[in-house]
Amino acid sequence: MAAEPIIRFEAISKRYPNGTEALKGVSFSIEAGTIHAICGENGAGKSTLMKILFGLERATGGTIRIDGQPVDISSPRAAASFGISMVHQHFSLLPSLTVAENILLGQEPRRGLLVDRKAARERVAALAARYNLEADPDARVAGLSVAAQQKVEILKALSRDVRVLILDEPTAVLTPPETDELFRRLHGLRRAGITILFISHKLGEVRALADRVTTLRAGLLSGDAAMGDISDAEIATLVMGTTKTVPPLREPHGFGAERLRVDNVVLRSLAGADRLDGVSLSIRAGEILGIAGVDGSGQRGLVSVLTGEVLPHDGDFHLDGRSARGCSTAALRKGGMAHLPADRFHQGSARTLSVVDNAIAGAHRSSRFSRGAFLRVREMETEARRLISDFSIRCPGPRAPLSALSGGNAQKVIAAREFATAPTFLIADQPTRGIDIAAAAFLQGRILDMARQGTAVLLISADLDELLALSDRVAVLYAGRITAVLDNGPHLTPERLGPFMLGLEDAA
Amino acid sequence: MTFLETIAHIVDLVPVLLRVTTPILLAALGVHISQKAGVLNLGVEGMMLAAALAGVLASAASGSAWVGLAGALATGAVLGFLLSFAIHVLKADLILSGIALNMLAAAGTTLVLYMLTGDKGMSGSLSSGVLPSLAIPLIADIPVLGRLLSGHHVLTYLAFAMVPVVAVLMMRTPFGIRLRAVGESAEAAATAGIDVARMQIAALVLSGLLAGAAGAFLSMGYVSWFSQNMSGGRGFVALAADLMGYGSAWGTMAASLLLGAADAFVISLQGKGIPSELLQSLPYIVPIVALVIHARARRKRFVRI
Repeated sequence: MAAEPIIRFEAISKRYPNGTEALKGVSFSIEAGTIHAICGENGAGKSTLMKILFGLERATGGTIRIDGQPVDISSPRAAASFGISMVHQHFSLLPSLTVAENILLGQEPRRGLLVDRKAARERVAALAARYNLEADPDARVAGLSVAAQQKVEILKALSRDVRVLILDEPTAVLTPPETDELFRRLHGLRRAGITILFISHKLGEVRALADRVTTLRAGLLSGDAAMGDISDAEIATLVMGTTKTVPPLREPHGFGAERLRVDNVVLRSLAGADRLDGVSLSIRAGEILGIAGVDGSGQRGLVSVLTGEVLPHDGDFHLDGRSARGCSTAALRKGGMAHLPADRFHQGSARTLSVVDNAIAGAHRSSRFSRGAFLRVREMETEARRLISDFSIRCPGPRAPLSALSGGNAQKVIAAREFATAPTFLIADQPTRGIDIAAAAFLQGRILDMARQGTAVLLISADLDELLALSDRVAVLYAGRITAVLDNGPHLTPERLGPFMLGLEDAA
Repeated sequence: MTFLETIAHIVDLVPVLLRVTTPILLAALGVHISQKAGVLNLGVEGMMLAAALAGVLASAASGSAWVGLAGALATGAVLGFLLSFAIHVLKADLILSGIALNMLAAAGTTLVLYMLTGDKGMSGSLSSGVLPSLAIPLIADIPVLGRLLSGHHVLTYLAFAMVPVVAVLMMRTPFGIRLRAVGESAEAAATAGIDVARMQIAALVLSGLLAGAAGAFLSMGYVSWFSQNMSGGRGFVALAADLMGYGSAWGTMAASLLLGAADAFVISLQGKGIPSELLQSLPYIVPIVALVIHARARRKRFVRI
């Protein structure tokens, strides 16, 4: 293209006060009216680069040019004045506000001193209609499913005068049909002249969507090419370095006795997304049962029941033949349950505590790590170092706060802790969501190892490829019910699961 | 007691209830605004106390009760601004700054009082104005209704009028939505282009204004003097009222009335042979019991998702 690129990064670098170099002089251009993908592992620097472009962080070196002019983007407000908007991976919505209030936050239509609620409703409805994103303007965000929240988040970004839209891992929470729909809309936005920056781990999505791809590795630019000039394998090499990961595959092996039995569990709750309407399951020793389902089909309720966080209104579940209904989380863990939570930062870890503290949490009362009222700090650190090397966790050291680690490495710390208890029953809830390919492959391999050693695994994942790669059987959850339990094999495909996930078929 | 006498007795209690509720409600509405913005105004007790003294001084100097009220409001607002200045510019801790403000006000008002009057206890030598009560024409003449609606203090009317004003401000105006956004997630609000510091400064200044009105009511509502520590913990009761109010201005009013009723009940029982120590602890026991009940109700909701 002859015109000036809409955005030009020139030798952008970012060094944090703790010495971490997230970006080391990255330069490339983004042409107006294109969909530009940015690929890289977690910790490669792509999120940092986007935060700098969006004004959430300041670069410590380099220049950003917009339309050829050097600009200073000191705040999200400044970014907005340049027409740059962002859809965050972790949503920036306010749960207690309504959809309309969230979308129009900071630009509310007024009537006198008050918000003109009718105009607000109409603006949101018009916006929703224009981009084919249905949303109830008066619904409270707290009551929406994750996928619905993302729609609100995208609408919020589009409500401003947008030239450049940044999307950070937008498909992580979407079902395949929703992903296709999103891509159609993004193509529509491009036709309308909007430039889209698309951050993704998934090469298939990048291929389907992008015109050009830039790859980052360890804070450096590793590649920048038009999609037509580069193969998936080449992109993978640029992202990962020379090591090539093979997706782990389950091998057929025998199963032992029934470890987990869930009988007709009912959970009536206020939030529809958590309801369970008579769920029955069984998992044998050494078996991985995958749970497929559109986000908000009852996965969270099922996990809450099985981890002892809530008491089901009806039904029971058994661990190794013993009724576990009414058991506390601590009792269940003692009985051999381990849990890799979907929300790894709120439920799975304490971000401000050290890697050691997070890696030992839960076991700190055991005689191994405590004597009387005191913790055996040296023992704890030794164990943490063992886990760090065993799981090849990249971190500045065992005493570094967990917040200093990338998402993938933080997830490894949590997994290392949970797996170290040698559980008989493991709940892995979205174990690889939003983490880089290498860390994901590593964790998938570990989950398979656990099963091989006789652990019964309940695997919940929005990533159907992952479910089909790991599971021995797949149960589909739809609206709080199991609509199908299918043996895994070559015949089982996302297309086969789709109708069950959407409630079109019911085999149960 | 006949039925009519009972009614008359209850009607007689209403003005007492409204009178003791007034400072609690004004301060609690101020706390409500600050809490929604994520900067809980723990200094409300000190703001009331300082405003109560400032009101008397301004009134004594000018000879006008209204100038006194203006002085009290200004003092509250300035202290609200100072608190936000401490938090945002000096980066001080919110809780410690609030506590420091309370201690500063307790000691500072006594010091100023002593310097100006030579008395550490009361400002008897300064002659302050008294803000008026209002009789509503026509309604005042209706038997029971007149007693209920008319003849209350001007700041009592203001306090109850502020409830819908604050409710609309918080729920229906761009300002209120932004304030709540800042309180819920400062980062998300900043991302939407909202100036977090400015909103929180505004919230604490508004909070201070309302605390100032509460303070003015204490020293110029029915009396014309300031006395040492005359806020007497009402600021803390107001904090409790806000926490019990389920995050709404109307809930805050209901909680203020409940806590005020405990106060009024004590007043009506005085001199009836009940140990006064026990009576005087009642207004503080009620918020504790209410907060425990409130916390239990909340926990129940949480466990059941």
